[in-house]
Amino acid sequence: MRAKFLYLSRIAREPLAQFMIAGAVLFLANSLINGSDEPSPAYAITISEGRVQQLAESYRLLSGRFPSEAELQALVDDFIQEEIAYREAVAMGLDADDTIVRRRMRQKLDFLIEDTAAGEEPTEEELKAWFEDHADLYRLPPRMSFRHVLASGDARSENAEQDATAFLTALQSGVEPERLGDASMLPEALPLTTQTGVAALFGEKFAANVFQGENEGWFGPVTSPFGAHAVLILSREAASPP
Amino acid sequence: MKITCHNGFAAAAFIAALSACAGEDMRSGAAAPEETQAEDTSAPGQQPATAPNPLRNVYFGDLHLHTRNSYDAYLFNVRATPDDAYIYAKGGTIKHAAGFDLSLDAGPLDFLAVTDHAEYLGVLQAIDTPGTEYSRAPYAEDLFSEDRGKIIAAFGHFVDSLLSGEIMPELSDMTATRSAWQDTVDSAERHNEPGVFTTFIGYEFTSLPEFRNLHRNVIFEGGDAPAAPFSALDSQNPEDLWRWLDQRRADGVEALAIPHNSNASDGTMFERTKWDGEPIDRAYAELRMRNEPLVEIIQTKGQSETMPLLSPNDEFAGFEVMDLYVGVNKEVTTFAGGYVRDALKRGLEIESEIGANPYKVGVVAGSDGHNAASPYEEDNYFANHGMLDWKPEFRGSVPPADYESWGAYYADGRAAPRTMGSGGLTGVWAKENTRTSIYAALRRKETFGTSGPRIRVRLFAGYDLNGVDLATDEGVRTAYEKGVPMGGNLIGKTGEAPQFIVIAMRDVHSAPLQRIQIVKGWTDEAGKSFEKIFDVACADGGAVDPETQLCPDNGATVDLQTCAFSQDKGDAEIKGAWTDPEFDPAQSAFYYARVLENPTCRWSTWDAIRAKVEPNPKLSQKIQERAYTSPIWFTPANAR
Repeated sequence: MRAKFLYLSRIAREPLAQFMIAGAVLFLANSLINGSDEPSPAYAITISEGRVQQLAESYRLLSGRFPSEAELQALVDDFIQEEIAYREAVAMGLDADDTIVRRRMRQKLDFLIEDTAAGEEPTEEELKAWFEDHADLYRLPPRMSFRHVLASGDARSENAEQDATAFLTALQSGVEPERLGDASMLPEALPLTTQTGVAALFGEKFAANVFQGENEGWFGPVTSPFGAHAVLILSREAASPP
Repeated sequence: MKITCHNGFAAAAFIAALSACAGEDMRSGAAAPEETQAEDTSAPGQQPATAPNPLRNVYFGDLHLHTRNSYDAYLFNVRATPDDAYIYAKGGTIKHAAGFDLSLDAGPLDFLAVTDHAEYLGVLQAIDTPGTEYSRAPYAEDLFSEDRGKIIAAFGHFVDSLLSGEIMPELSDMTATRSAWQDTVDSAERHNEPGVFTTFIGYEFTSLPEFRNLHRNVIFEGGDAPAAPFSALDSQNPEDLWRWLDQRRADGVEALAIPHNSNASDGTMFERTKWDGEPIDRAYAELRMRNEPLVEIIQTKGQSETMPLLSPNDEFAGFEVMDLYVGVNKEVTTFAGGYVRDALKRGLEIESEIGANPYKVGVVAGSDGHNAASPYEEDNYFANHGMLDWKPEFRGSVPPADYESWGAYYADGRAAPRTMGSGGLTGVWAKENTRTSIYAALRRKETFGTSGPRIRVRLFAGYDLNGVDLATDEGVRTAYEKGVPMGGNLIGKTGEAPQFIVIAMRDVHSAPLQRIQIVKGWTDEAGKSFEKIFDVACADGGAVDPETQLCPDNGATVDLQTCAFSQDKGDAEIKGAWTDPEFDPAQSAFYYARVLENPTCRWSTWDAIRAKVEPNPKLSQKIQERAYTSPIWFTPANAR
């Protein structure tokens, strides 16, 4: 034992051995830090048979026939160029901060999510919770149905409101609406209609007047671009969930 | 760095993970949806379903609208879909391509047809989808570049293709079109609500030989549609479209075609000859009338009723006249054959020659909006071509950025802008709001067109209509029993002159009505045609002057600084009864009503006021909105 140890220690003191050990250490370190000189799998570009077929098929769709040998080789070469450029670009970080790339990545993720989501049906509880959180979106607006008697502004000018008031008195004392008022293309009554629907026909002011308040029986005069009206609400429907 | 390339001919041992990363999306051809959900569909103001009305209700809608599926709309950066178009029409809010909100102020429409160009339908979106075969088209990049010049050059390929009628080989794969067409059909089905809102499946047949506008919109009655639309790339000849429609009808699919912008056809929309140059014959007249009973009389690219050169005695003829070709800056030089009133007269002339009338057309209107939405109102105008005209500086109402004033602009030799207007609307009288009922109204021509406002108008002709008041239900009932409505035919009755009754009601969101006119056209014994206009009812108690056949000027004005218009002039409703003072029982004739509003500000004036600039001196500042009914045709008793 002692002889071996002495032998080894004598070698260790040999400059050549020290250089060899240092070199080995450096070589090991280099190979650990920088990788080997042999191309690692990351630098290999593989053109599979599937890829070649896909290139040929793309060509056929575009031009109507399959490519010749020379054309196919050109396509493959071009694909390789593209792949090289792509990897270089990624390595240089060119894909960061590019709006088109970002948009496209988002689009692809959206597709993935859609594909996965399409397979999953929401549960009853999830639907209920969504509905409750977004009740406003699904609420049906209030509706009214009413009939009216018109004192035409065309025919009566400034007297329209006064005349409508006279109609109102008559109506409230029981005179039938058919016997009063001016004929018009306006419908005599509307079925349950939203405020927007009423405004489309009679104007916003008339619609607002009819929809506000708790009018029972004939009321008015309510003005509109057609003149002045006596109005009777037939039925109301409050804003409701569907 | 060393790279080893494994040549593909020697099959590799493994498929590199690279292939997934290279971005090959195998959805080639299928339009990749960017928006997957329609926005909130609970739109306000929906009328509830009601029972059918035998006296017929009026329904308003647009039969001409484009979405992102149209090749040109997509290039204008429009990404709104057919779903968006229905949401807007039902009263909801959607986005313009420039990002602002669009919604109808005056309440929802009652029906809508989305009519995207059949040519390259869905293709631009496919080109814009990376990884598709379409995206490999040589000019694909230029189409979506920032460089306006490149875009125009690339777009030129499409224009050339439509001009020649030849499909571009690199875009001849029909997958994207079929997919977009299916999307159109499905969207119409999704949004059709019988009794509440009607959708029609449709498309545009974009024929423009030598840039002459021969476009037609095809409207399908029901939910059955063919696998693909017949486009101008199949044939530019409208006769081929009609024959295709005949075949579809034989297959059980009912549809009709509606031509538009005859004003830009340079006299070729309503010719006396067929496509092959031979004179029109009975077979042609029947083929045409079987498939094209209507014409779109007004839309954003001007009106096609008439113009001052054709109707020098019509003081209201100089209205929204757009006398340029579409797609090229060339002036129209032949007006006869390009306007509806002239065509109606021509139809009578041809009938007196060959016994058949190829131009016995009813009237509708539309927008031709390319934003999946159109403005129908002057004070809520957002133009109709996406990013091309979203700003007033781009549409001729406000001087472009590099000019201080219109004076400077014109001093620099710049050209006047093309006359463009708001969308028009179709009105129909139908028993209920369903496809069957509204389509039937289109077929029997009980229709009218408006320049945008929802003016409602009824017209009847008959004998024994004395005292019939169209403002009452009994009056309307009697009119239907004893007379014919707009679009109808009246046969002569010996010893009696027909009576006409008409009533119109204003749109509360527009101006009061000023007058109702009847436009008469007739042929004499020699078969020559004439026209004359009669005012038949005047607002404000005015009486028609028996000498001039005109209403007095009711003095309605509009303040061009504020757009305030006279509140005390004009009527909310006008009605009249009329007999023709020049009636000749031996003459074939047509009569249609034209209703005029009081003057209001035109959209270009609104733009100028809001921008605090002088309005463009070369654009009209005022507008008198109007409605045109389908004619009633009078045929003499004992005529052949």
